[in-house]
Amino acid sequence: MFGHERSITQIKYNREGDLLFSVAKDTVTNVWYSVNGERLGTYNGHTGAVWCVDCDWDTKNVLTGSADNSCRLWDCETEDNQPYLTVPCSDHKITSAVWGPLGEFVIAGHENGEINQFSAKSGEILKKAKEHTKQINDIQTSVDLTMFISASKDNTAKLFDSTSLDHIKTFKTERPVNSAAISPIMDHVVMGGGQEAMEVTTTSTRIGKFEARFFHAAYEEEFGRVKGHFGPINCVAFHPDGKSYSSGGEDGYVRIHYFDPQYFDFELEA
Amino acid sequence: MKLLDDILREKPQEADGIDSVVVVDNVPQVGPERLEKLKNVIHKIFSKFGKITTEFYPDADGMTKGYIFLEYASPTQALEAVKNADGYKLDKQHTFRVNLFTDFDKYMNISDEWEAPAKQPFKDFGNMRHWIEDPDCRDQYSVIYEAGERTAIFSNDAKEPITVEERARWTETYVRWSPKGTYLATFHQRGIALWGGEKFKQIQRFSHQGVSLIDFSPCERYVVTFSPLMDTKEDPQAIIIWDILTGQKKRGFHCESSAHWPIFKWSHDGKFFARMTPDTLSIYETPSMGLLDKKSLKITGIKDFSWSPGDNIIAFWVPEDKDIPARVTLMQMPSRQEIRVRNLFNVVDCKLHWQRNGDYLCVKVDRTPKGTQGVVTNFEIFRMREKQVPVDVVEMKESIIAFAWEPNGSKFAVLHGESPRINASFYHVKNNGKIELIKMFDKQQANSIFWSPQGQFMVLAGLRSMNGALAFVDTSDCTMMNIAEHYMASDVEWDPTGRYVVTSVSWWSHKVDNAYWLWTFQGRLLQKNNKDRFCQLLWRPRPPTLLSTEQIKMIKKDLKKYSKIFEQKDRLSQSKASKDLVDKRRAMMEDYRRYREEALKIYQEQKSIRLELRGGVGTDELDSNVDDWEEETIEFFINEEIIPIGDL
Repeated sequence: MFGHERSITQIKYNREGDLLFSVAKDTVTNVWYSVNGERLGTYNGHTGAVWCVDCDWDTKNVLTGSADNSCRLWDCETEDNQPYLTVPCSDHKITSAVWGPLGEFVIAGHENGEINQFSAKSGEILKKAKEHTKQINDIQTSVDLTMFISASKDNTAKLFDSTSLDHIKTFKTERPVNSAAISPIMDHVVMGGGQEAMEVTTTSTRIGKFEARFFHAAYEEEFGRVKGHFGPINCVAFHPDGKSYSSGGEDGYVRIHYFDPQYFDFELEA
Repeated sequence: MKLLDDILREKPQEADGIDSVVVVDNVPQVGPERLEKLKNVIHKIFSKFGKITTEFYPDADGMTKGYIFLEYASPTQALEAVKNADGYKLDKQHTFRVNLFTDFDKYMNISDEWEAPAKQPFKDFGNMRHWIEDPDCRDQYSVIYEAGERTAIFSNDAKEPITVEERARWTETYVRWSPKGTYLATFHQRGIALWGGEKFKQIQRFSHQGVSLIDFSPCERYVVTFSPLMDTKEDPQAIIIWDILTGQKKRGFHCESSAHWPIFKWSHDGKFFARMTPDTLSIYETPSMGLLDKKSLKITGIKDFSWSPGDNIIAFWVPEDKDIPARVTLMQMPSRQEIRVRNLFNVVDCKLHWQRNGDYLCVKVDRTPKGTQGVVTNFEIFRMREKQVPVDVVEMKESIIAFAWEPNGSKFAVLHGESPRINASFYHVKNNGKIELIKMFDKQQANSIFWSPQGQFMVLAGLRSMNGALAFVDTSDCTMMNIAEHYMASDVEWDPTGRYVVTSVSWWSHKVDNAYWLWTFQGRLLQKNNKDRFCQLLWRPRPPTLLSTEQIKMIKKDLKKYSKIFEQKDRLSQSKASKDLVDKRRAMMEDYRRYREEALKIYQEQKSIRLELRGGVGTDELDSNVDDWEEETIEFFINEEIIPIGDL
């Protein structure tokens, strides 16, 4: 689906999965029907690249975070929006964050690879985890919020328990991982990534060869890849029903894939 | 009294002048009538090293004794004389031995009590050929990764590499194997080190500050090192030749530029090494390290030379000179007999390509025919095993990208044309004097040819800018066995047996996806090995087989019998691998399930809290709230079809 003029930074399904929100470096926020890719609407108002988006559990409000140092809260149905929060900068900048299972803490990933649990009441650090060696690019929770997966520039994605911050699994690739998501119904995770823009020294003649990779969550083994993007993949997300997934790329495209029946029957020999 | 002191001080001391005296032995014994002539000859030879101030020809019974004394103006000159004239062959019966007079003193004063030299402890490096005895015949290869920080040696197993040795900072730049695989050479600021044996202990060390390049003699007896730092006029140190077993420096040479390393090219048996300087070809022999016949060959305009890999024959070419056409010459060593000369006309450039056994020489000749502007290429094929070395010519219509002989056969492959129309042609040099074009594949994505070291099979690769396109070819019937790709591959390396091929993406040429992939010779991918900042993979060479041709024939005959045993072994090891993997997965799944059960238990317990947070609305499942659902019908465009109603 083409609706952004610059690279996609994040995509999010609403809880029911019928809507898909996408944000990009072109300052625009779009919302689409996930069933057919038809665009429902656009939210304009940010003056800088929009890096993240999320909507609340009953799809009333949408929250976006942008490089113009502001968070905006939008009413989903109208284009009413108000600047919600301006975030001050500190060292070890936070690059990604999600809520804990009961809203009592926030789990944040930092520029230096650290993952911290911040109390939602006091703001103090409750737990720490230093498993990644480079910047955290994305954190996404499992559908029941008991686990989360972190995607890092150190070429791996890791699975953690949300409450204890115990490191459970590691998924290895040879490229920086920009985004990772946990399937709501299968023991699968999907990852998307790509080379650093700085390191692209040759014009790639590999049309459509940036791939989303599927790993088995328990065995840590890769079992499938999906091609199609013309540039690095910046974000991936499973539909809440687990029957499809989406990916947004540096090429400005959002791709929605429905899994064929073999995907659900596939099993690694064990 | 004072006067006497002065005079006494000036009295010549016995020590004075002795250091500048040399003794020359094996001088012809002559009578008085030929003495003058002899003195002239000696003077001519020895005044090259300095000013001769005194000469003494002892005689007895009217003949010179056969040894003489020469005094030079300084001890340095005497040393020069010893260094350069010792071993000088005057004629068949007389080879001079030159020594310092003071050395005689030293040798005369050796005590009569002979003390046996202190015994040096025997350094046992173990079995230097240990890797060849691997019962499963696995070959080893070296891998440099982490941008050079780590070097590892692996044993090649089709399932996955087995680590033999791994060290941090083993080398500072890269590594090299010796030609028969016995040693691994590593580079350091102070020189190079050789490692070997089962545990890769340090066998030898050669001190050469700033060494940047090395080369081994084919017999592994000598190693040649180059450093751009060390050269001085008096003591040539740019290139040093070392004896590997003793660690001794054998000889040093000057070197202007290392652009075409190796500067010294070795004959296949290690008996000779040669180098080219403007208008000169210098051939040295081992172990003396002296010039063959004491002089270099003067070859005006010599552009390039190379040794036959099978015999002591040198091929070289000179360009056109006024009315003398360019020519290629084959010269036998050490006799220097010219066994073949071939004139070439309107030559722009030549390249020499020997077939690995020395059976054929291909000279690629670029010419501009008279009256034309363009450059055309011919291959002049010299049949070395036939009487008088006949030459056949193959004319090529397009520009040549790559050329390679089948290592132990009579075929060669050529890549020609210009991107995107690159063609691969295969030729067979037949016994009946003809060179036949067997097959041509057009529109290939290839810029390099890699033959299996055992012949017959080969890989055509499009490296680097051609994005790693690979074609696996069987040249017995010129079919493509497989076409594949290793994106951005920078290197292709066959194992010494010709069973496996490694393609790799080196960090030195591409900063991401650094890995090496293992394929079978038929092009079936076996492994993908990612290594952080992988730089270089080199197979360990094997020493030549100890089996005779007869024994090899016998083994080939009984191959079926051996195959059965190998296949059984493979099946067993395969099922074990699967079993190991399956067991591992089962354990991982059990752990994971246990963790999920725990987490789910806690999740269930927290259900009431969640309900409270969302004002009584259950959101645990997608269908927790069916009452709240709104049905919406969405229409969307699927297809448009225009049906003509026809003529009404």
